[in-house]
Amino acid sequence: MDKSTAKKIAEDEEWSYDFLEELTEDVHENRNIIQCISCGKCVGECPASKISNFNIRKVIQKVLKGDRSVLKDSDIWYCFLCERCKRVCPKEGINIPLLIINLRNESFKKGYGPKYNDLTKYVEMSERFLTNGTVLDDPLDGVLSEDRVRELDKICDFARIKYVFKASGKKLPETKAKHKKTSKKEE
Amino acid sequence: MEIDNLALNLDKIKKDYPDNPLEFFKGKRLCLFKACLEKYFPGVRFGMENLLEALGLDVSVCENQSCCSGTFFQRNLITRAQFAAINERNLNEINRQADILLVSCNGCYNSLLRGRDFLKTPEVKRKTQKILDGVKEEMGSEKYPGQYKILENPNLRIVHDLDFIYLIRKEVLNTLKYDLKGLKIAIHYGCHYLNLERDKDMDTYLRDSFKLEELVRLFGGVPVDYSEREACCGWGASQIVIHPEDALQITYNKLKSAENVDACFLLMPCPTCLYTLSKPEFREKMYEIFDEKLEIATIHLNELIAILRGCEEDRCVTLKRTTPRIHFIYETITQE
Repeated sequence: MDKSTAKKIAEDEEWSYDFLEELTEDVHENRNIIQCISCGKCVGECPASKISNFNIRKVIQKVLKGDRSVLKDSDIWYCFLCERCKRVCPKEGINIPLLIINLRNESFKKGYGPKYNDLTKYVEMSERFLTNGTVLDDPLDGVLSEDRVRELDKICDFARIKYVFKASGKKLPETKAKHKKTSKKEE
Repeated sequence: MEIDNLALNLDKIKKDYPDNPLEFFKGKRLCLFKACLEKYFPGVRFGMENLLEALGLDVSVCENQSCCSGTFFQRNLITRAQFAAINERNLNEINRQADILLVSCNGCYNSLLRGRDFLKTPEVKRKTQKILDGVKEEMGSEKYPGQYKILENPNLRIVHDLDFIYLIRKEVLNTLKYDLKGLKIAIHYGCHYLNLERDKDMDTYLRDSFKLEELVRLFGGVPVDYSEREACCGWGASQIVIHPEDALQITYNKLKSAENVDACFLLMPCPTCLYTLSKPEFREKMYEIFDEKLEIATIHLNELIAILRGCEEDRCVTLKRTTPRIHFIYETITQE
């Protein structure tokens, strides 16, 4: 065996796919990152890399080596989700923005994500979405019908969007439609 | 059941209607997707509505459409299945009243296509339908058959405003009262227009990434190249909210780069990019951080078309927006 082959085997032994398997249990498409050839085109084109330590090649390497510390890295919260990396990646089927969303989800689940206090803007936006169907106050076209708001509320059951409220100490929005429904039941 | 991403097939229209692609849209029901940020820039909606009416097309908005919810998905506040369920409800409502959905915002456009794309994953599709079944149970009954079903072979097709305007550009030109009088214009496309899955193909990418330049030339302006042309506006899925100082570096670089080539204004096809690049508070903050006041004006394609069509200034560009020199642009273009 020549030296370079031996070195390659030694490097290969560093790979550990348990974390990847665990991570992609619900997001099967992200298993495709195993095809990453570490060419770095994504890093060269990345806006977040220009202003922070975010380096998607390193993130992918950590995932492929089973290094769970990536979930604690504040860097993963710097991704712009601009999808430029996805466009320039020479490999078919690698979806880096989806991997970042996947990692952020796991980070949230383990309690490493941004504290809800850092999501103040989202508390307000979530409230508006769940009460009038848009992210802004006083929308151009008025608020959404009560039925549609009730649908959104139901669709978002158990979603983090509702826990953002809970952590902020605010009460979950209750639509007029819900009041209506309750009063019907009471009748 | 095959999940179609619903993007309007522009190549087929060009092939079927080589002389006048506008003919394809005649007699079809068009609907404008309500982007949340149009609230700050009502001229974006007005510009398209006014153009479509002038072209004799049937246009409406869908009362029952909610926000696309892309911002919540990107911040991990809802799951893929919840995001897809919100998307399906919107598409289902719009499908009932329209054949073509026009979208003025890159973010909404990306969400509409991505929501459908997620359904190609069997597990997400199953979960999405389960969520919709739960909604049906909560609501008691359906108001129309299939209200809470994933759309199967819908008639509806989706098109970005920029692609639509580019497709019928010759007909648009015929409706204009003014031209761009040789003004130098810097172009910004926005990440979620340039970096969509469809653009993986290099030919498509190259064609799409020069549409605004071609429109500017057609309307009598001069597109100018600048180093940050393909850079992000700085919004970056709310990075400007989460890491404002870092994200504003991106915004500053973009605006500065366009100013450096003496562009009169920055033209773009997205109200979210427009918000980031023009918000007075962001400009002030950049002045504080970088000690340089950036004056370059910004405008959405739909607003610009409204100005070129001779619409009143108050309808073209909202008074809520005090972007530097926007009044100057209006005056320059509309002076006889």
